[in-house]
Amino acid sequence: MNTSQALSPVLRIAKYTLTDEVRQKSFVILFAICAIFVFLMRGCYQGSYLVNGQLLTAETVVRSVSKVTFQIIAAGVMLITALFSMRVFRRDRSEGMQTCILSKPIARWQYVMGKVIGLWVLSVLFMVILHSIVFFIASMSLKTLMAEYLIASVLCSFNLLFVVVSVLLLSLLMADIVAFLCVMAIGIGSFVADGISALSHSQIAQMMQQPGAHPQSDMTFWTLIYPVWPKLSGVQQLASSVISSEAFPALDATYPLINIVLYCLALGWLLFKRFGSEDIV
Amino acid sequence: MIELNNVTKQYDSLAAVNQVSFSVNAGEYFALLGPNGAGKTTIVKMMLDFTRPTSGMLSLNGLPSTNEACRAAVGYLAENHHIPPRLSGWQYLLRCAELLDMSPSDAIDQCRRIVELIGMQGREGTKVETYSKGMVQRFGLGAALIGNPKLLILDEPTAGLDPIGIREIRLLLESLKNQGMTVFLNSHLLSEVEKICDTAAIINCGKLLVKDKISTILKDGETLEEVFIRFVKG
Repeated sequence: MNTSQALSPVLRIAKYTLTDEVRQKSFVILFAICAIFVFLMRGCYQGSYLVNGQLLTAETVVRSVSKVTFQIIAAGVMLITALFSMRVFRRDRSEGMQTCILSKPIARWQYVMGKVIGLWVLSVLFMVILHSIVFFIASMSLKTLMAEYLIASVLCSFNLLFVVVSVLLLSLLMADIVAFLCVMAIGIGSFVADGISALSHSQIAQMMQQPGAHPQSDMTFWTLIYPVWPKLSGVQQLASSVISSEAFPALDATYPLINIVLYCLALGWLLFKRFGSEDIV
Repeated sequence: MIELNNVTKQYDSLAAVNQVSFSVNAGEYFALLGPNGAGKTTIVKMMLDFTRPTSGMLSLNGLPSTNEACRAAVGYLAENHHIPPRLSGWQYLLRCAELLDMSPSDAIDQCRRIVELIGMQGREGTKVETYSKGMVQRFGLGAALIGNPKLLILDEPTAGLDPIGIREIRLLLESLKNQGMTVFLNSHLLSEVEKICDTAAIINCGKLLVKDKISTILKDGETLEEVFIRFVKG
């Protein structure tokens, strides 16, 4: 079997996954709500903002508001992606599509790969469309093309791949809703941990430390877990730094992305292994 | 065409299929009979690699069942067949044709032919959620026939159908007989099996009790139902 022959059913299954999801009423409603939210944020771009008695420039306002909107969209689409992904295998099973596909000369890895690609493409499109609205509004307001938004969007797509693969894997091992909640807990854990880490390294935290006091031992459970925890928040920060062109330490810049890519590969391998040994009912 | 060699499927301490061996030749209409829980569906699932045997070998078209290429010329109708309700019968058939890597024009030609064969002209465009059980079953059988398979595996094709639906499925299967297709039929309806199948095997508690030509199994004017009860009750 050559590559194009092997990829043909993968792409077909991906297409069916994508079209089946788009046909769902819940998808259309969610998309409409998200698009309305992004359009409503438009009003914030024209406001006059005073910080410490100083009026912010229009450019600062546009950049700040669009960055916040960008972050909300990236995090929100992760949640929506988890919602789409959690029911995919179960629905295919109950509607007979799994047996229909796997009774054809199609290998299980091709089926799983098709599902992953379909869900990933769908969620990336969902996010890119919403980000493009922000990009369009920001570019119009500043009268300059802000292509960095789209690069940042591409970076955030790795988070979506992580969500798709992990929810699909966990949905094979536990109830769909539990799989969804587990992945959400991982995501929330990542944001909270990065927040605490940023706070502990802030100037306020440094100032609060007693002069002459010995710093606590770093070998706690959390300091061991923190570096290997899925860096969903880190990837979003990396994307955000692309938008604002902030200086990002070289190692810190790439580590979250490498962390998420490695997780995608490891969880993807486990997903193929687990589905390969599943009984099809 | 189908070869089972000492196949066993163990679920914890229960042997759903126990050292079963038989073969089905090309062009044969074969029925696998047995009471509920005898292991018939497990055998079908192992043939299609939906579940793996604990021990033994299964092959389809000369290839091990774990090789997806063995399903290249196989049509399958599942027990309690389902079709996604948001699709129309036509969209479902088209998907099945596309999954067999057919060109768009070939897929459309095949689907037209199948719709005619299953007698669903005029209803193929409506959503599956509006179909009766019999119509879903007909589309399921139609989907199994796409790509002109050499082997048709039918798991309880008449389950849930009324007598008219059962007769229609039987007539359809009889019409396929002269096309040289091999049919593996898993059914409870012994009268229907007697009418269309050449060979039968009876299985109970995972063990193969008999496998022979139906004309050989039936003795002294017995019906298949009487033979079935005789074997199953021991």
